[in-house]
Amino acid sequence: MKIPGSYLFLAGALAALGAGWVGFPHVIYKSRPQPVDFSHKTHADKAGLKCEDCHAFRDDGTFAGIPPLEKCAGCHASAMGSTAAEKNFIDRYVTPNREPAWADYARQPENVFFSHISHVKLGGLKCEECHGEMGASDTLRVYQEDRIGGYSRDIWGASPPRNMAGAAPGMKMDDCVDCHRRQGLSHSCLDCHK
Amino acid sequence: MQKTRREILLFMGGGAAGAMLTPAPWRLITDTAIWSENWPGIPRPAAGEVSERYTNCALCPAGCAVRARLVNGQPVSLAGAAGHPWSRGAMCAFGLTAHHLPYHPDRLKVGSASEAETAAAVADAMARRGAGEKAAVLDLAPGRAASAVYRRAMAAVKDGVYLTPERPLGGARVDLSKARTVLSLGVPLFAGWGTPGNLYTARANFRLIQAEPYESATAALSDEWLAIKPGSEAILAAALAGKIPNTDAAVATGLAEQRIVDVGLSLRANGPSVVLAPENSPEVFELNRALGAFGKTLVADDSAEHGAPDGATLASVPDGSIRVLFLDESVPGAHIPWKAIERKLVPSNPLVVAFAWSREGYGRHAHFVLPAAVYPEMLTDIPSALDSPAPMFRLAAPLVAAPAGMIDPVAFVAKTAGIDPGNPLREKADAIQKAGRGSVFTPAGGKSTPVRSLKPDDFWKALNNGATWMGEPAAGTSFAKPASTLAAGDASDFRLAVAFTGAHFATLASPLMAKLYQDSDLRLAPDTVALHPDTARAAGLADAARGKLETAYGACAVGLVLDAAVPKGLLRVAPGPETLDICGANTRAKVAAL
Amino acid sequence: MISANKPNKTARYGMSIDLDRCNGCGACMVACAVENNVPPVPEEATARKGITWIRVFRVDNGEEGEERRSVFVPVLCQQCGEDTPCVHVCPQQAVEVDPATGIVGQMPERCLGCRYCMAACPYHARYFNWWDPQWPAGMEKTLNPDVAPRMRGVVEKCNFCHGRWHAAKERAAAAGKSEILPGDYTPACVEACPTGAIRFGDLKDPASEAARAAADAHSFRLLEKIGTEPKIYYRSTREWVRQAAAAPKPQEKETAHG
Repeated sequence: MKIPGSYLFLAGALAALGAGWVGFPHVIYKSRPQPVDFSHKTHADKAGLKCEDCHAFRDDGTFAGIPPLEKCAGCHASAMGSTAAEKNFIDRYVTPNREPAWADYARQPENVFFSHISHVKLGGLKCEECHGEMGASDTLRVYQEDRIGGYSRDIWGASPPRNMAGAAPGMKMDDCVDCHRRQGLSHSCLDCHK
Repeated sequence: MQKTRREILLFMGGGAAGAMLTPAPWRLITDTAIWSENWPGIPRPAAGEVSERYTNCALCPAGCAVRARLVNGQPVSLAGAAGHPWSRGAMCAFGLTAHHLPYHPDRLKVGSASEAETAAAVADAMARRGAGEKAAVLDLAPGRAASAVYRRAMAAVKDGVYLTPERPLGGARVDLSKARTVLSLGVPLFAGWGTPGNLYTARANFRLIQAEPYESATAALSDEWLAIKPGSEAILAAALAGKIPNTDAAVATGLAEQRIVDVGLSLRANGPSVVLAPENSPEVFELNRALGAFGKTLVADDSAEHGAPDGATLASVPDGSIRVLFLDESVPGAHIPWKAIERKLVPSNPLVVAFAWSREGYGRHAHFVLPAAVYPEMLTDIPSALDSPAPMFRLAAPLVAAPAGMIDPVAFVAKTAGIDPGNPLREKADAIQKAGRGSVFTPAGGKSTPVRSLKPDDFWKALNNGATWMGEPAAGTSFAKPASTLAAGDASDFRLAVAFTGAHFATLASPLMAKLYQDSDLRLAPDTVALHPDTARAAGLADAARGKLETAYGACAVGLVLDAAVPKGLLRVAPGPETLDICGANTRAKVAAL
Repeated sequence: MISANKPNKTARYGMSIDLDRCNGCGACMVACAVENNVPPVPEEATARKGITWIRVFRVDNGEEGEERRSVFVPVLCQQCGEDTPCVHVCPQQAVEVDPATGIVGQMPERCLGCRYCMAACPYHARYFNWWDPQWPAGMEKTLNPDVAPRMRGVVEKCNFCHGRWHAAKERAAAAGKSEILPGDYTPACVEACPTGAIRFGDLKDPASEAARAAADAHSFRLLEKIGTEPKIYYRSTREWVRQAAAAPKPQEKETAHG
């Protein structure tokens, strides 16, 4: 049976597309569950907490990021609810006073300087614009670490290719520079690299 | 099914084209870039909460006020505390890198024996001492609260003796703020003498005459440089005091006779004047007396608060008389060549215990060496600065915790002597607060308050947060004329004068200090000698990179640097562990092939 | 929202170094290394292979004996303002002059290590990483988190302590300002200099210490004749020092020592 050349070409293209879009992410990203089954939603709804109550700025303007265990233990010294997740958290981390090894979706490479306060206070960005609906999520999604680069696949949810850019900005330098260009902001190398 | 080459190529071409439309190749390019920028094996600085703490530098008696920047409680950089009335925000290169000392590659982490074994050996040696065989503490940084404990401990021991180094300027303190003319006989004013901040502030108001064979950093910044012949400093002082004729001095120093006359006139006309010298010689004493410096630019430090050491000097102890010697070098202090110490020990079976933070100090020669904390791990007070007419009390408060297993020298010596050391720092603080004189500067608030307005606990708390207490200027007028001392090793064989290129901080330096001598040639590397090419040639070392430095105390291997700017007859010696063992005050030396 | 807070003011950061005050103590050199995570070099390194973003040279007047006079000259990246030689030659666009600050930025991330810029720099202010950075065990705890250590094979140089600039920007942002407050940004060498010889500031601001010192009659710049418009000014009341900075031909006068 003779297959037309164009079909073969198409078959190759389809195989590569399948491998690139479906197979490749499984190969390049290593999945790692978060240490604690944490619900932002519960904290926001039941305890009435806002983002900045736990993810605070320090006096010098630096961003403290994920709160230390001490902060959690301030409320969760003993169980406040009856969930298994909370009991697990207290038994494994609070009682032995061991910091959970949180995986930080937004961790930047060592040579990147990112100022949260400039974006939030001067730029007027809302947390959701970069971190998506993290604050309303009921579970932490699986952390996908790039096997070569060593960083998270994205800040919030799988980002679409940049040319189809959707709501959440990506983690790449081009994503930063694109926005700075659009806003007419400075984008010298040393503005963001250290 | 048979595939043709063309079919396979078509399939692969399609695959390649398809792959371009997937994230895979683009992701791999970015990933490779990120990986290459975060090269494995490169340390990652820990990020975290930044905070500030104040302390005082314990590396020398200047005790500069320090503002430390800490990340997660770990000091990452030190700077001078701005607005400080004494150190004025200035610090030297050694002080700026002192937070590296706990991680020095030569750090002594484990002693030669355990504390218990050492204590047992010491107790045994103490008990077996023969008639007149002494036990001694050599306190290299006298004037501290710990010094008082050492003194008490040695008083409690039979034939115990508390030893201190010779005091620079015979215990007098310099008041540079009153001086209009300063004659320095080779004192490294801008390379480790006095307190940088105080010195540079006073500098605007005095004329500096530097008499030194080599154009040192101090000579380069002086108002007048007298390029005298090596070793002729005392003769110049004697001539300026009118003790010897200027014609003789002109020959000995190599200066024109008129020049000596002019210097003498300017010292007298532009007073108050002061003459500074590395050693307290009778000639310098006479010249200062003739210039009326005593009581004006030089004040006697007779106040108890200055912590005037009443210890015996090493020279006053007969040779071969010390059976048990404790050497505390955990707090940097004066340096005495090891060979000068060694000759005081009994010939057979002496016991030397050194408390050291580094493997490079006296511990190399001691029978037992115990590891001690180092600044900025330890809590200690700092003796009053040489250029401060007022007594001072300030603490080097620890910035980081000392590693486990460090021995407290004071507690060890007190235990050996069977006395209770008490809390000497707190007792000294309370005594100062009770006397109620002077004021306290708190760097965090940037304010001075009279000490009597503070409660004892508040004063103690302030001291632990880097405060400085400054008392009232000493008003003592009794100055002892030093005895004439022959230069060590005046044997005719040792013809070359030795000039140290800086303070004896060689074993106290951060590895980053190599920036000043290895990455650049701003300074000489430790244990290096700079000499004139002719001097080297005469010793048969015309092309040698290394040679042997010999003094009456012994010999050691040194690096050699040929420098035509060094006058013939002079060796510029960079202090290092080896050279410090054999060079002291007024040392003369020779160089030879290894 | 964003454009309302856009920084509209640009600065020209520069320095004035008073050579009559510099005593060659080296405090600036070690403070710089501490601040910028410059490692101690391996034992085999020499003055040619070590890294010193600021290096104090001893320069003499070429005389012998008591006529000899020396001056200490701290040399760092001169932050050239015009025809910046390193920017011109870089094949990677790894060097740029930041229009907002006038600081010449070197990007180790982009550098491919050809060292063309080192050859082009008239001031020898650029340094190559011959080795991966290594610190004695435990000393890596004292590294500054505001500056990323560089890997081997790239060029680096002074960038006026850009980590401190970032920190100052962040403090300003915390106070709701998009421009840093004068005096809130000081490079480590300026802070460390015990004699106050180094002044730093915005040369565009005539009231800044650096601008006032730069306007002094005894101020000069290194190799002024080649037209690179450096932003580092030097000052000396000594005529021979100013002559030496103009770099006469070697046969006329020997200026460098060692």
